[in-house]
Amino acid sequence: MDGRTFFRAFRGGGGGKNGMSELVRLTEVTKVYQGGITGALNGVSLLVEKGEFTAIMGPSGSGKSTLLNLVAGLDRPTSGSVAVGGMDLGKLGEAGLARFRRDNIGFVFQFFYLLPNLTSLENVLIPAQLKGSEATARARELLGQLGIQDIADRFPARLSGGQQQRVAIARALINSPTLLLADEPTGALDTHTGDQVMELLGKLNRDGQTILLVTHDAKLATRHAARVISVMDGKIVDDARLESPERAASEVIRVRSEEASR
Amino acid sequence: MRAIFIKALADLRRRRLQATVIFLTVLFAMAAGTTAVTLMSQTRDPYQVAFEKQRGAHLQVAFRPNTDPQLIQGTAATIGASAYGGPYPASNIQFRFGDRKFYVDAVGRDNPGGAVEVLNITSGRWPVANDEIVLTRSFSELNKISVGDRLKVTSVAQTPTLTVVGEVVDIDEGSADLSSQRAWMLPAALPALSTPDSSFYLMDYRFPSDPTGPQLQTSLGLLKTSLPPGSVAGALTYLLIGSIFNITNQILTGVLVAFSVFALAATVAIVATLVTGIVISAYREIGIMRAVGFTPYQVVQVFALQIVMPALAACLVGVTAGTLASQPLLANSSHALGLAYRPTFSIGLDLLLFAGGILVVAVAATVPALRAGMLKPIVAITKASAPRGSGGRMLRHAAARLRLPRPVVLGIGDAFARPLRAALTLITVLLGVATVVVAVGLPRSFELINNSETGAGKYQVVVTRSSAYPDSDVMRVLNAQPETARVVASGGQNVIVPGVGDPVNTRLFRGDSSRLGYMVVAGRWYSAPGEVVAPAALMHDAHLKIGDSFTGTANGQPLQLRLVGETYDINNLGHSLFMDIATMASVTPAVEPFLYDVTLAPGSDVSAYVRRVAAVEPDLLDVRASDTSTIAPVKIIDLVLLILAGVLALIGVGGVFNTVLLNTRERIHDTATLKALGMSPRQVIVMVGASAGLLALVGGLVAMPLGLSLHHVLNDVISNSAGNETPPVAYAVFNAYELVLIPLLGVGVAIAAALIPGRWAARTNVVEVLHAE
Ligand SMILES: Nc1ncnc2c1ncn2[C@@H]1O[C@H](COP(=O)(O)OP(=O)(O)OP(=O)(O)O)[C@@H](O)[C@H]1O
Ligand SMILES: [Mg+2]
Repeated sequence: MDGRTFFRAFRGGGGGKNGMSELVRLTEVTKVYQGGITGALNGVSLLVEKGEFTAIMGPSGSGKSTLLNLVAGLDRPTSGSVAVGGMDLGKLGEAGLARFRRDNIGFVFQFFYLLPNLTSLENVLIPAQLKGSEATARARELLGQLGIQDIADRFPARLSGGQQQRVAIARALINSPTLLLADEPTGALDTHTGDQVMELLGKLNRDGQTILLVTHDAKLATRHAARVISVMDGKIVDDARLESPERAASEVIRVRSEEASR
Repeated sequence: MRAIFIKALADLRRRRLQATVIFLTVLFAMAAGTTAVTLMSQTRDPYQVAFEKQRGAHLQVAFRPNTDPQLIQGTAATIGASAYGGPYPASNIQFRFGDRKFYVDAVGRDNPGGAVEVLNITSGRWPVANDEIVLTRSFSELNKISVGDRLKVTSVAQTPTLTVVGEVVDIDEGSADLSSQRAWMLPAALPALSTPDSSFYLMDYRFPSDPTGPQLQTSLGLLKTSLPPGSVAGALTYLLIGSIFNITNQILTGVLVAFSVFALAATVAIVATLVTGIVISAYREIGIMRAVGFTPYQVVQVFALQIVMPALAACLVGVTAGTLASQPLLANSSHALGLAYRPTFSIGLDLLLFAGGILVVAVAATVPALRAGMLKPIVAITKASAPRGSGGRMLRHAAARLRLPRPVVLGIGDAFARPLRAALTLITVLLGVATVVVAVGLPRSFELINNSETGAGKYQVVVTRSSAYPDSDVMRVLNAQPETARVVASGGQNVIVPGVGDPVNTRLFRGDSSRLGYMVVAGRWYSAPGEVVAPAALMHDAHLKIGDSFTGTANGQPLQLRLVGETYDINNLGHSLFMDIATMASVTPAVEPFLYDVTLAPGSDVSAYVRRVAAVEPDLLDVRASDTSTIAPVKIIDLVLLILAGVLALIGVGGVFNTVLLNTRERIHDTATLKALGMSPRQVIVMVGASAGLLALVGGLVAMPLGLSLHHVLNDVISNSAGNETPPVAYAVFNAYELVLIPLLGVGVAIAAALIPGRWAARTNVVEVLHAE
């Protein structure tokens, strides 16, 4: 592992001093679901730099998933704007958003969402094939990197949760996305498997992958992420940029205790 | 029970689209079925009613004019008839009305009543003077002649004029569009209208009970042996006349029954698919229902009721519509039989159909619903939906190898993900496409046969001479016209063929008869004197094969004949012979042609030609443009076929639509995932469209051979019912491109239908779908 990659990435996350490295920009974003009394997001502004590993934490229903979905272009904000890679998502139509996701976003879900009637390899290939490109070699390489090359031809129903999530991660990475989004990727896994998956994400980040992660697990978050954003009632209540993982840990523990005292 | 109703009603409201599919398919199937059954149960009736009411003749025999009337009268006792009419003097006469000429058999009778063949006067009165005549209503209506019109008899030199004084319905002859007609005059009027060639005696026999065909043949044989040889000129049975009356309805009923069964099968397939689909998508709901206290049986009821309720409405409307639709056809046949039309339907039958329809639908719905009832609550409640189908893998791989775009590959896999559902859908497509094939093909076969019977495109003008105007003069007149390209003259003669009861109507041609358009079913057209061709029924009855030689008898003189080919001819239900007039050269008296089929040079003005030739000898020549139009019964059958094809095609589309809708709804979660991964709305639509297209394609491809063989079979059934075999050309009425186009059209329609669920899937909000998990 090349430590310098990690630090370069880390320094890149230092407050947007370099416009070129800005990747995600949320400006005064609110989201009110149909039938929702209060907003799921209430005026959130956020900047994410290229190469950052950002964890989003917060209690259930605080709007974490909503935030991630907006960044992925899966949903549209009620007001405010979302830009990714300099592209204003509000200006894109449905087809444009689909193309945007396909080219720029890798999404990892809590419940994997593998297509049950496709093999692991076929699942990984889908995003590439939707673009019209065949990437079998890259898919096999990714499966190899994630240590699951031998289950390439198995169907999801015959895989363990950890294996399924690795396949999902490979699928998210197949198009070399600029941004990897993960919504509680360990939520459906046991602690040990969860650790392994987080390890994997950390390694990807050290190789330069920008990651936006939603998680409940403070320990897992602080071990790998260099920035932890805390969300509550649809607002960002804390944004901790940590110089070292340990610092991050204490920072998060502070937020958690605040949270607990509410 | 209340809870079940409330739940079923609520579900119904939620599944409006599917309820509509059920309603429409059941409606169409029931309407077609009811029409068929109503026709079937009624058609035999009116003829029998009329036959009894008018004391129809079981057997009618024509005798040569030189037979002793006393002897003829005695035959009634000989053959054990319980009643008889006649012998009536009769003569075949020709008359002119306006610029048209007609033939009828004028029969001399004092009154319309009697023990046999009561004539039902529908307008006017019976003749009281020698210059008065009564026609059949069928003839009057067909030719637009009414009471008061004056007819000029042209078959005798004096050309007397007769006045039409009445119209009758005669149960003992076929309708005017299918058979020659009689007319009635006072017996005293007949001698003046008779020539030695044209006159005969007609005798009606009635037996104590309805005899069978063989019994009638035995009686006829007995009758013949009791008279001097050659006394009998012809015979007609009530069975033949009944079948002429019923042939249209028989064919129609056959077609309707076949396709009603199709429609019902397709409906059952759709219902089963639908209920299976609802059960699959409502797994959790079933669990909850069970948890709140629905018994398994009640769960089944809820699902079955959802289907039965729209089906109930559909059966109600469908049975009513079917009963109404059959009325014009029934009215038509009672009119032909001289019966007063009264709405013919039976409440009992309708109720039976109604109950039958509901029962079939209910069974089709209950069987798959049982699965829901048997589900263990805990299994159902913990799984949101049934295990997803995992079929279609091989198809997907094949499609992937073809390097089709990924959305297409995925759609193709989805189409067969649930093999049973796919199979049921294929059935609906299959039946729809097959029916369309038949509806396209059969009218063309009919047209081909009609063209051959009417010489369409082969000759344009038909000239008939009366015996007062010699053959040589006709030929001189025709050959003098510059437009005349070819004349084929023909005459008729009865030939007795061993093994065939009645003398066989034989057409004798002078000229190139092979160019008149007669179809050759097997063998070849005759090419030399002594060679004959015949339709299937005659060959069958006479036990003749192509190549066989046999000895016929004409005018009591032997005739050496060799059968060289089989032709198609529905006259006399396939009992006729065709040969060169030279074959009869040895027979006396010599047969002279009286009918001339004239082919004009291309581009000639047919009506000018007709007018010019007719003007030469207005009384003695009948000149008319050849009538090539299709007869009404065929038009009705064509129309009914077209409607049925439309109905079954709609049901087929309904089947595909239903399946794609179910597949799409079941897979919406996967589709949402695909959208999250970057599948564009267009790609979603392509995916759904591809699965519909594949179902239609496979169904369509399988349907083509099925449709073609069905077309084949129906052709045979119809040809056989008219005593013929289908000519090979009548099978081959499809172009190669049509065989490709019809399934492709099906694919197109299916894809269009898939746009509705496709667009729904393309528009669904990913977040909402995934959030709902
Ligand atoms: N599709 C939706 N329709 C209506 N309301 C929604 C929808 N999705 C989320 N919400 C509501 O919006 C709020 C934020 O939800 P969100 O899923 O973003 O929370 P979260 O922080 O991801 O929670 P969790 O940790 O439980 O996943 C919640 O109150 C939720 O009920
Ligand atoms: Mg969430």
